[in-house]
Amino acid sequence: MKFKYSCLSRRRFLSWLGGGWLATFVCSLIYPLFKAITPPYREPDEVVLLIKEVIELQPNSVKYFSWGIKPGILKRNDDGQLIAFVGVCTHLDCNVQYLPEKRKFFCACHEGWYDENGLNIAGPPPKPLRRLFVYEESDHLIIRREEKA
Amino acid sequence: MINRHKNLREKKGNFWEERLGLRAIINFLRQKKVPLSEHTIWLYTGSLILLFLAVQVITGIVLALYYKPTVAEAHASVRRIMTEIPLGWIIRSVHFWSATGMIATVFVHMISIWLLKSYRRPRELTWMTGVFLLIITLGFGFSGYLLPWDSLSLAATKVGTDIPRVIPLIGGWISKFLRGGEDVGADTLTRFYLFHICLLPLMIFLLIGFHIFLIQKLGISHPLKYEMRGIKVPEIPFWPDFVLREARVWLIALGVLITVAIFFPRSLGPQADLMAPTPAGIKPEWYFLFLFQTLKLFPSQIIFISGETLAILIILLFLGLFFFLPLIDNQPARKKGKIITAISVIIIIYAIAMTIWSLFE
Repeated sequence: MKFKYSCLSRRRFLSWLGGGWLATFVCSLIYPLFKAITPPYREPDEVVLLIKEVIELQPNSVKYFSWGIKPGILKRNDDGQLIAFVGVCTHLDCNVQYLPEKRKFFCACHEGWYDENGLNIAGPPPKPLRRLFVYEESDHLIIRREEKA
Repeated sequence: MINRHKNLREKKGNFWEERLGLRAIINFLRQKKVPLSEHTIWLYTGSLILLFLAVQVITGIVLALYYKPTVAEAHASVRRIMTEIPLGWIIRSVHFWSATGMIATVFVHMISIWLLKSYRRPRELTWMTGVFLLIITLGFGFSGYLLPWDSLSLAATKVGTDIPRVIPLIGGWISKFLRGGEDVGADTLTRFYLFHICLLPLMIFLLIGFHIFLIQKLGISHPLKYEMRGIKVPEIPFWPDFVLREARVWLIALGVLITVAIFFPRSLGPQADLMAPTPAGIKPEWYFLFLFQTLKLFPSQIIFISGETLAILIILLFLGLFFFLPLIDNQPARKKGKIITAISVIIIIYAIAMTIWSLFE
């Protein structure tokens, strides 16, 4: 069948068909390479410590633990309660430290300050430190990513 | 006014041409002619090798993102590539099968040029760089084989790096250079990784560049039998006619490569243990089998020289003759040339027979 008018010449149509097929083919080759470039990293759902490891933790002091491949910070408040943070600055990913005498978390990279509850109070950090959730179960201390339902 | 406007637009369209002048290359490739005969099929092997090499570079870079060249971590890092990295197993399998394809194609490329005597004057240097490229390609295979650090690769490397020892004078040093000391160990692994991803790639790219330059400079050789009879073989332009034909071959090769890589994925043996006895029935990869079998044929002592030494010296002698073949075979159309062809055929049949024998032993 021959059209009287066409917006596309046969050559143009075939070029697009061929080119489109080639592009799809190349994409299918690139896809697995692209997938393999980033390794899977899942941060832990929970980290378990022993109660006896933290029993001597004094009020207004902290204990560092491994939260996957980042530092976690466990802190005992004045009322004896344990709270936990991901010890990474919300500004540009530097590891923070707790300064008990100032009762503040400090990030040395760009002078970021958080108060003793992890709230950003001075410097560039845009958000509070990320909180983790602490549960005591018999002789274990469980630090979870999410609040227990 | 209208004219001036038109000139301006033309210049705009020629933006890249004005700066890069790529049209000269296209024109060169259009004028480059490829002889069309029953032997044209062998001409595809060259670009097929380049295709496999490109696949090796790309998949190799992705593998190198995760591979760790230390005795403690090598095996575990390859295991991680196979199990944890998204589609990592396909990448590694393609890397393995593409290496196999590259080596196989190199052999076919070499044999076709060898028997068709395409190395004859003035293409001697092209052949000689080709022999170096063959050795480098086998070096890639040999060095890459160790990197997963499994028990088979350790045994193969121990044997392979021990062989040069029998070469008089420099043999001991070569073995030490390859191993990074007296024995295969942690330094060997790091060193082989360096060979595999740095030294050999540098060498192969330099040599391929020179090899291809020579091919462009000298043009593609016409089959000897037509040249002798003075028959003019029909020719087609390299661009776009021949490239289109090559593209067909690449597509088929890529399809086969990926299919084979997925259905026959490369496995990973148990981690190498420097103290463990060698597993029974070990063999090198198929491309070393003819040498492996040859070495087994020689008795331990022949008159005053050890069988192994004699075997290695004979192999080296053949390699030397092979390298200088274009100079030896300087009358390809005469009787001398025919005798050389007959000897060549015998050598090729010998290598294939040894490989098959070793495979089914």
